[in-house]
Amino acid sequence: MTGGTTAPASGQCFACGEPVSVTDSFCEACGAELVPILVSTGDNTSRGNCSFCASSGVAPDGYCESCGRKVPAGRDHVEFDLRTLAGVTDRGVRHHRNEDAMALAVVSSESGSAAVAVVCDGVSTSARPDEASLVAVRSAARVLVTAIRTGEDPVTAAPVAALAAAQAVAALAGPSGDPPAATFVSAVLTGEAATVCWLGDSRAYWLASDPASASRQLTTDDSVARELIAAGMAEAEALASAQAHVVTRWLGADLRDAAPHVLRFEPPGPGVLLLCSDGLWNYQPDAAGLADLALPVAATDPLRAARALAAFAVDAGGADNVTVVLAPFPPARSAQGAR
Amino acid sequence: MSQPHFTVDIFQNEYLPDGGRDVNAVVTVATSGEAAASPAADPGSAEIIIVDCSGSMSAPRTKIAEARAATAAAVDVIRDGVAFAVIAGTERAVAVFPSDGTLVAASPVSRDLAKQAVAGLLPGGGTAIGQWLSLARQMFLSHPAMLRHAILLTDGKNQHESPERLGQAISGCEGLFSCDCRGVGTDWEVAELRRISTALLGTVDIVPDPAGLAADFSAMMTAAMGKQVAGVALRVWTPQHASLQFVKQVAPTVEDLTGRRAQSGPQAGDYPTGAWGSGESRDYHICVRVSPGAVGQEMLAARVSLVAAAPSGPEILGQGLVRAIWTDDEGLSTRINQHVAHYTGQAELAQVIQEGLEARKQGDEDAATAKLGRAVRLAQESGNEDTAKLLAKVVDVVDAATGTVRLKKQVEDADEMALDTRSTKTVRTKK
Repeated sequence: MTGGTTAPASGQCFACGEPVSVTDSFCEACGAELVPILVSTGDNTSRGNCSFCASSGVAPDGYCESCGRKVPAGRDHVEFDLRTLAGVTDRGVRHHRNEDAMALAVVSSESGSAAVAVVCDGVSTSARPDEASLVAVRSAARVLVTAIRTGEDPVTAAPVAALAAAQAVAALAGPSGDPPAATFVSAVLTGEAATVCWLGDSRAYWLASDPASASRQLTTDDSVARELIAAGMAEAEALASAQAHVVTRWLGADLRDAAPHVLRFEPPGPGVLLLCSDGLWNYQPDAAGLADLALPVAATDPLRAARALAAFAVDAGGADNVTVVLAPFPPARSAQGAR
Repeated sequence: MSQPHFTVDIFQNEYLPDGGRDVNAVVTVATSGEAAASPAADPGSAEIIIVDCSGSMSAPRTKIAEARAATAAAVDVIRDGVAFAVIAGTERAVAVFPSDGTLVAASPVSRDLAKQAVAGLLPGGGTAIGQWLSLARQMFLSHPAMLRHAILLTDGKNQHESPERLGQAISGCEGLFSCDCRGVGTDWEVAELRRISTALLGTVDIVPDPAGLAADFSAMMTAAMGKQVAGVALRVWTPQHASLQFVKQVAPTVEDLTGRRAQSGPQAGDYPTGAWGSGESRDYHICVRVSPGAVGQEMLAARVSLVAAAPSGPEILGQGLVRAIWTDDEGLSTRINQHVAHYTGQAELAQVIQEGLEARKQGDEDAATAKLGRAVRLAQESGNEDTAKLLAKVVDVVDAATGTVRLKKQVEDADEMALDTRSTKTVRTKK
């Protein structure tokens, strides 16, 4: 499935959160030198041509005036392309709204570009999961961008960003009822290393361009299945258990153990860093299998590859929202983030 | 006169199974707003009453007298300012009032003059209904009124012109005026009058006893006076590669509009609904065949708009969306929408009555028994009590639930004709 949406013409100031244009060099509100953060709110996307029959007529209520298909808009389907990295999030088939969110940014400095990505998956059984994932990715991305610009080590910044996201999610909680919750995975990819941080079962993978080099899953799920395996159960048996996919840790007010996992990974060669929600890996958990789907396109056109992976998940059943972010390594200089 | 407010509601199960193509929906169009109670001058309306004055109207002797009285009763209901006329029909058509073949604005004086002219009507001559309609057409065209309506009364068959001539005359009147048809007695042909009322978007009914004419005419004219918007069409947009299987009015009566389509855009067609007044409600059943989408996809199967002709171009009065969503959840896709199911049954009820009566006429008792038995069962299941009562005058009902019936040996012509003409009357779903 292809979307009618492309990178929007605006983002938010990393420092104060006010809206800014990607062509601005400085924030009109606070004066900060800008790194726009793209957040998949869906607000900045508009329906262009029909994504099914390419007709230019899409009625205000979202139906194509030629083929009648409902053309996705808003959070249902969002695509971002920063060249240095790209992401696609899609409602999928079964869910009536998209509770996944992603935030993307590129920070350029003398030492090169750093790609920043955060993916969160709102926990459907919690309150306001769609809002929880949005505030989480936005808060974490802001912390990461600021840290990189001030020269902070991503390894120390990543847990701080996760904590900021957790606090933002906790702040959504009302006086009563279920507290909001979301899974979390973030990445900072520089010319030297990827720093990955996570809570829950949203994942990061390293997909190696060289077939001789191993692709691998970088994250370890906070799930019942993983805990059973850690306790000594055979992997197949653990994954087959009824509670296998139940997440054991997450962002939210009721989070007991706040310490997120942090991993610094130095890629052995060229490849692509993949962040995704379980809407993708439920259909292909294997790193080599994901590499086959994404490469070699992902190395040069991460948006096209991200679309293909999202479409793969939707075509395979689309049982959950699906979010895919791809960042080629070594990072290319960003067209929009560069100054 | 304030224009009524239109609402369009769609009732459907939008979920289709994987590969599903047919999308059914019931479209309910209703009007609200101030009824036009004030007798303000209204040059926008025109009325013509067409009275059969053929020789047979003299038997029984009361028939022509009741026809005169009924016409006078209808004239009395015409609002001041509405243009009107009366035509006497035989093998020719004669303008009775005004005699110059124009229309006259209703007033206390003109209504009195019209009634005097009607009182002088005498039976004598043949029946050529096409002639009557053609004269009405000419007279309507002499006046700029937009809301044009006629009442046509006959007591016999169209003996003095060919069916082709009648057909030509009807075609000439389509879209120009609406016409309510009444047959008095039992010597007229149901199919003939239905042909006219269907084409001219009016009603058809039997008045077995001439004594009932005045009340019926008065009621018809009162309903006509309540009309406020002329030439309203149901505009149905469908996606590319889709085909509209049918468009039927299903309440208050079944009228198949499928063949009445007038293309109004590359993917849209207009289906005439005639004139509307305040406080009306009609239901339409549409079925669209679309090219199937993938599971999880949503498609607009039809955009249904209500469109009125206006000097500045077509005016959209209301709109509803018929949607299709493909799912692999059988619990969703197999759910039957009760409105669609109900009206599917009501349309079949009308059809099996007409087919059953035709079989009975042809002497095919087995077919007649099967069809009318099915009708009894459908009427019972849907709570269509009026139709059930009419059926019970033609068949002996052994068991309504199973549709077991026996044909009556002796059936009054009036009962058979009443069942035929009223077979299309439907009941609403219990919402």
